[in-house]
Amino acid sequence: MEKVLDKKSFPQWVKKLSSYTVYAPVQEDEVWNYEVITNPEQVNLDFPNTVLSPKKIIFPQREVYLEFSASNEDGLEVKEVLPEEEPSVIFGVRPCDARALTLTDKVFGGDFEDIYYWKRRNQVALVGLACHTPPSPNCFCLSVDGSPFSKEGLDVLMSDLGSKYFVEAFSKKGEQLINPAKTLFKPPTEKDKKELDKNRTEAKKRISRQIQNIKKIPPKLKGMFDSSLWDEESMSCLRCGICTYLCPTCHCFDINDEIFSSSPLSGKRIRTWDNCQFPDFTMHSSGHNPRQGKASRLRQRIMHKFQYFVERYKNYQCTGCGRCISRCPVGIDIIEVLDKVSSYEG
Amino acid sequence: MKDNTYIPKLAKIIQIKEEVGGARPIKTFRTQFIQDNNFSFKCGQCAMLSVFGKGESMISISSTPLIKDYLQFSILKMGRVTSSLHEMQEGDIIGIRGPYGNGFPMEKWKGKNLIFIGGGIGLAPIWSVLHTALEKKEEYGDSMLIYGARTSKDIVFKQELAELRKKMKVHLSVDVEEPGWEEFIGFVPLNVLEIKPSPKNSVAVTCGPPIMIKFVIQNLKALGFEDEQIYTTVENKMKCGIGKCGRCNIGLHYVCKDGPVYSWAELKNLPQEY
Repeated sequence: MEKVLDKKSFPQWVKKLSSYTVYAPVQEDEVWNYEVITNPEQVNLDFPNTVLSPKKIIFPQREVYLEFSASNEDGLEVKEVLPEEEPSVIFGVRPCDARALTLTDKVFGGDFEDIYYWKRRNQVALVGLACHTPPSPNCFCLSVDGSPFSKEGLDVLMSDLGSKYFVEAFSKKGEQLINPAKTLFKPPTEKDKKELDKNRTEAKKRISRQIQNIKKIPPKLKGMFDSSLWDEESMSCLRCGICTYLCPTCHCFDINDEIFSSSPLSGKRIRTWDNCQFPDFTMHSSGHNPRQGKASRLRQRIMHKFQYFVERYKNYQCTGCGRCISRCPVGIDIIEVLDKVSSYEG
Repeated sequence: MKDNTYIPKLAKIIQIKEEVGGARPIKTFRTQFIQDNNFSFKCGQCAMLSVFGKGESMISISSTPLIKDYLQFSILKMGRVTSSLHEMQEGDIIGIRGPYGNGFPMEKWKGKNLIFIGGGIGLAPIWSVLHTALEKKEEYGDSMLIYGARTSKDIVFKQELAELRKKMKVHLSVDVEEPGWEEFIGFVPLNVLEIKPSPKNSVAVTCGPPIMIKFVIQNLKALGFEDEQIYTTVENKMKCGIGKCGRCNIGLHYVCKDGPVYSWAELKNLPQEY
């Protein structure tokens, strides 16, 4: 389905979606993040990219799995806590972040479906916003099979045509978003389509950063487990973990119990994001740690994204959003690291 | 949508046996599910045990799947959860989810001699496969156990080992000399060289501390065992048990899901991240 929507009518569209929980980028303290929108007039799609990707809505940083409490009969009662039934829509999803969800889908799917992830994933519709200009100087989606107007993972893609949006729906979920506001949308003219094509050609040209010889990297990494490159590149790492916390594709998590009361026992089991850059991530209870130094942890981050994931799922576990580069406090740059992998000899 | 694997089933501890005391205590727990469920497992698989309020720990199942009445776990007191387990009493309730992991490929071993080589608490995962093979004696060749611990006090399943001697060859060792010890003195890998199990039509299964496994494999190779004839188990920190939480990987493999059992032919090609 292809339509155009006048920018002035956009809040009207959002208003029509009253049966959904609506998320959109909101600016607070100079940064943008997805928040629940109560006033449709508030929605402002004139943003670069959010600090956290929409992954946080589907796979929250902290969520309760189950609650437990002492009971008289069997001594203990365990109650499953599942996400609420709540159809939702996220506006302003950048194509890289939507593609990232197609990758976390692979992880949370498979032999063991992660019920918490899928409960949220199945009831959320993603409305993308194509990147006319790169939201960040560190964008490199073109290097990792993406593009500034990729529709992968999206239900709807909106592209800015100045005074209006070109709106494409790719799924039933997407069409269901447009249907209640049908009268607001018009069929696109030939001129609209031409302008869209022109914008897209230009958008690609505006992305300045790229990874050299990306196709050669997965096989090259196979022989680089013991390379000194990891020591050199991780030297300045502070182990803060921001690279993976902000990554839209990272999925590692921890599971812990929190108690409200120890007698009688009551508490909950929670899952929280975890981070392969933290030393205790892999530390055994004996104190033995297979990834003792930060070199081994940078290696894990790079190899997971550009070798192991490729071997397992046939995709890079990176969609080129550039967050890890822009936010690293010491300037570790995944593109530079990968370029060094490419040119590494020895 | 399939079952929610993260929700443990409640089980009662029906028996606790102190195997080893001292600074590195080991206890064996027998558990029974409170409600019937379809928990069925293969030798070498693990279960995620919950002490509610403390957390979870991945433990290998040491009983044979042929016993349906209870699950048995032999646990070394180490971290928060295992320490809590060691404080529990018979009748206390824990949670169990699983089973997880690949298990031993016992189908492939039919007709072969089985050589079990264990060190310390590493006898626990072997115990399940050893007893299963013993129960199905006609399906396998001759079995043998080579097992050692730091001292005689650190040997697990003492009474059971005495019983086992009636059914298969058992070679015990302690690391250092002690009064009254009449069997081999020295590390397990050296005892392997002493006993010289024949590689002919055999499979060797070794579990124990990583350093022991390393030299056992080296010595088995010296005795003529091929990489494909040697099996071991790998341990890594685990949380989810289903290859999603991301911490137990060695290279491409998630130990919780793709392991913990590996042939040396497989393991030697994986990075040493365990």
